[in-house]
Amino acid sequence: MIFISTKGQNKFMLSGSITDENHRPLPGANISVNNSKTGSDAFGNYRIDGIIPGKYLVEISFIGFEKKSQIIDIDVDIVLDFQMQSSTLSLQEVLITDRYLERRKKEESQNIEIVNDEYLKQNMGGSLMKSLERIGGVTSMDIGSGQSKPVIRGLGFNRVVVVENGIKHEGQQWGADHGLEIDQFAVDNLEVIKGPASIMYGSDAIGGLIDVKQNNTPLDNTMNANVDLTAKSNNKLMGSSVSVSAMKNHIFGIIRATVLDYGDYKVPTDSVDIYSYRAPLYKKHLRNTAGKERDVHFTFGILKKQYTGKVFISNVNSKTGFFANAHGLEPRNVNTDLHDKSSRDILEPFQQVNHFKVLNENQWFSEKWKFETNLGFQRNFRQEWSEYVNHGYTPPVFPENQNFPADLELQFDKHIYSVNAKMSYFLSPKTTITAGLSSDYQDNRISGRGFIIPAFTQTTLGTFVFVKHLFSARSILQYSVRYDFGNLKTTAYYDWFQSPNETNTSWSFLQRAARLNKKFSNSSWSLGYNYNLEHLTMKINLGKSFRMPIASELAANGVNYHHFSYEIGNPNLSPEISYQLDAGAEITGKNFVFGITPFANYFTNYIYLNPSSEHDRLYGNGNQIYYYTQSEVFRYGGEIHAHYQIIKSLQLGLIGEHVYSEQLSGEKKGYTLPFSPPSSVIFNIKYQHEKLIFVQNAYFSVDYQLVSSQTHIVPPEVITPGYQVVNIRFGGEISIKNQTLIISFQVQNVLNNKYFNHTSYYRQINVPEPSRNLILNISIPFTGNLSIKK
Amino acid sequence: MIFVVNSCTNNTNEIDEQKPNIDLTIQDAFPLNCDTLFFGETFNLKMIFTDNVELGSFSIDIHNNFDHHSHSTEVTECSLDPIKIPVNPFLFINDFEIPLGSKEYQTNLEINIPPANSYGDFDEGDYHFFISLTDKSGWSTQKGLSIKILRR
Repeated sequence: MIFISTKGQNKFMLSGSITDENHRPLPGANISVNNSKTGSDAFGNYRIDGIIPGKYLVEISFIGFEKKSQIIDIDVDIVLDFQMQSSTLSLQEVLITDRYLERRKKEESQNIEIVNDEYLKQNMGGSLMKSLERIGGVTSMDIGSGQSKPVIRGLGFNRVVVVENGIKHEGQQWGADHGLEIDQFAVDNLEVIKGPASIMYGSDAIGGLIDVKQNNTPLDNTMNANVDLTAKSNNKLMGSSVSVSAMKNHIFGIIRATVLDYGDYKVPTDSVDIYSYRAPLYKKHLRNTAGKERDVHFTFGILKKQYTGKVFISNVNSKTGFFANAHGLEPRNVNTDLHDKSSRDILEPFQQVNHFKVLNENQWFSEKWKFETNLGFQRNFRQEWSEYVNHGYTPPVFPENQNFPADLELQFDKHIYSVNAKMSYFLSPKTTITAGLSSDYQDNRISGRGFIIPAFTQTTLGTFVFVKHLFSARSILQYSVRYDFGNLKTTAYYDWFQSPNETNTSWSFLQRAARLNKKFSNSSWSLGYNYNLEHLTMKINLGKSFRMPIASELAANGVNYHHFSYEIGNPNLSPEISYQLDAGAEITGKNFVFGITPFANYFTNYIYLNPSSEHDRLYGNGNQIYYYTQSEVFRYGGEIHAHYQIIKSLQLGLIGEHVYSEQLSGEKKGYTLPFSPPSSVIFNIKYQHEKLIFVQNAYFSVDYQLVSSQTHIVPPEVITPGYQVVNIRFGGEISIKNQTLIISFQVQNVLNNKYFNHTSYYRQINVPEPSRNLILNISIPFTGNLSIKK
Repeated sequence: MIFVVNSCTNNTNEIDEQKPNIDLTIQDAFPLNCDTLFFGETFNLKMIFTDNVELGSFSIDIHNNFDHHSHSTEVTECSLDPIKIPVNPFLFINDFEIPLGSKEYQTNLEINIPPANSYGDFDEGDYHFFISLTDKSGWSTQKGLSIKILRR
């Protein structure tokens, strides 16, 4: 578009805006007019003054986009806008730059955090969620040193959706004792949405979303390889992840294998107090918490200008031990000779998880629209093994001829088939409409001697419309609505052993779960607005989201012997409904940034497991009854972040988070919600230099984290005292004969403090967090050209 | 920083944050860790339950520990017999009410341990005596005692 204004002047101005194919501003594009060059600003605008009349070649280039040029006569002030087309050759550099982050943050009306593989390596913890824990508002529920579940602003389990390459990751999200089955070495780019994100990814994302992408591809006609070597001192972890990728004629392939082996982790204490009993630890090792992980990935695809198609095949397999001195909350006798012989063996109790995935992603582009499909098959297979012990009315000696082995405590076998399709249409340069459909079917089978949830199948179907309207590059409105339908069918389940009746006169196989056929449907919506000034960005988002009750909430009727609890579902639970208001503001100065992201959230009916004052003999074997129930809940909180650049290479930073929750109705009125994370603040000082002696991109960073005590608890939790912990990170790139080594080093818990994590699986039996841990990661990239034979 | 200091407000609602307590320190409390019970006899369960607001209910579970699977919740260690395979172990599971409105309750419960069932005599040896106590708010306390049940 060319607008010409007439004014008598000798020198003229050329200005305009640069946008991408979705009409989103592109900050940082290069504009050259003959020999003078400039860059577009944060809103994609550029301006070149003092041009004398004449014929000029205007060229616009931006990494990852096709170059544009135009010859133009300048004899007046001219406004020249360019719309860029992304080049599909490689998105590697583009997607992980800070500018991309800046742009996403300015456009998304929700609070979003983006990290890349470099961040993950510099902050690497025992699992993906542990590596992300430094992000404000993100915490993890840890099960030992290698497994953890995501918690966003105090909500976890089924309320946080994890999406990998466009398909919702489905494991056993509801259970507290296993982690997320994602290989953190295979993550290229990751976005965290704090707050409801139900519209695009399904109604479950009531608390937030973790969107994991493997989108790095090699440049055309090149071949890359990368070797990661990692080691940790605390649990004597040794690991490696190796990937090889190549692209030729727009077709690429990537293979990756990850191997991790670790021993029992160490805690800064000689014994653990399980009730009044003090269980001694051998050499401070948390007995039997060793583990191993074996992952393979194979990705291939085609990247054309108007079409990209990718197939991701992966298998993530882990085996990890549970702390042997307690199973759940039950103190156990331990054969210490057997267990303490080696710190690397994995004995019972342990769990084994295998997650297999085949995903397909297709995208078609044109100037006016973008169409995307995602197909997925996943199988999550999890087994928990422990020595057979008779509890309640289970037989004293395990009988023969059962269809599962005696030591198989729990087995979950889940098959998931998913289909998503969405279409974005650029109605005008200012308005984009995206509409989509998603559906999945899952089949859950169970086995083993324990019973917590019945076998079930679940079908869901959702549809959404999302509209984004730019009043200007500064002012963006977005609104969306989604409708979901779900059908959950549970299978009846009977005990494999007999229990007596009330008068002890007859024995029968108790029915633990009834056949249920439940249908749920509800709508979600959201309304958001962003206003961006040069040094101030503001956003606000209001949304309603809902979550269908899951099989355990509707149909559980089992005894969890290790938690002394008898858990009863409620088939009459309604879909959980939440309203949330999110806001965000960020001020950017010449050498400082300050941002705040508050939220307020109201649940009409939050579903949770409520311990009652009753015990039950007939079905509960004398255990305390826990009922799945729903209550009104109000929550608020937020995060702050700030940094100040003292000099170019030295920066001070601050990250804080706080959540408050209160139940407004029901039996636990006035109480908080289970697993509420305490408030935390991290003070950081970071030194970085492009070249320090022989180290490129050198950095040295110290985190001092202060965590408040958590006194807001709900039965059966325990109060957790506050603590402080110091973590150090440093590293950089070293070149040896043209070969680059990227080194990341961390010292976690530098002062070797003994402290407890309120949201750890082991908190209730007083297991402290790991003692000092030295972590080394060396990443060795190799690149080569593929010779082109003609 | 102000942020963190500010974090514990609005907690004026009176909610119960204390677990109930099982007191085995009273005179003649029974059974205690490492005590012995006898088949064919009745014993009196004697302990005091207390809570800051109101007690809920309690349950008793006596099961064999011939495989030494579980550990008591107590400080003292008891001597265990060698590991053996159960033949006809004794099992007792029951739940009991506590009068409404009680903050303190002393049990007065006679429990009879029969010598045998229709399969024959019960096995002598190491047993686990498990007490679970709740209060009205759903807090609970567990005590697991190592005991022996023998024939006199």
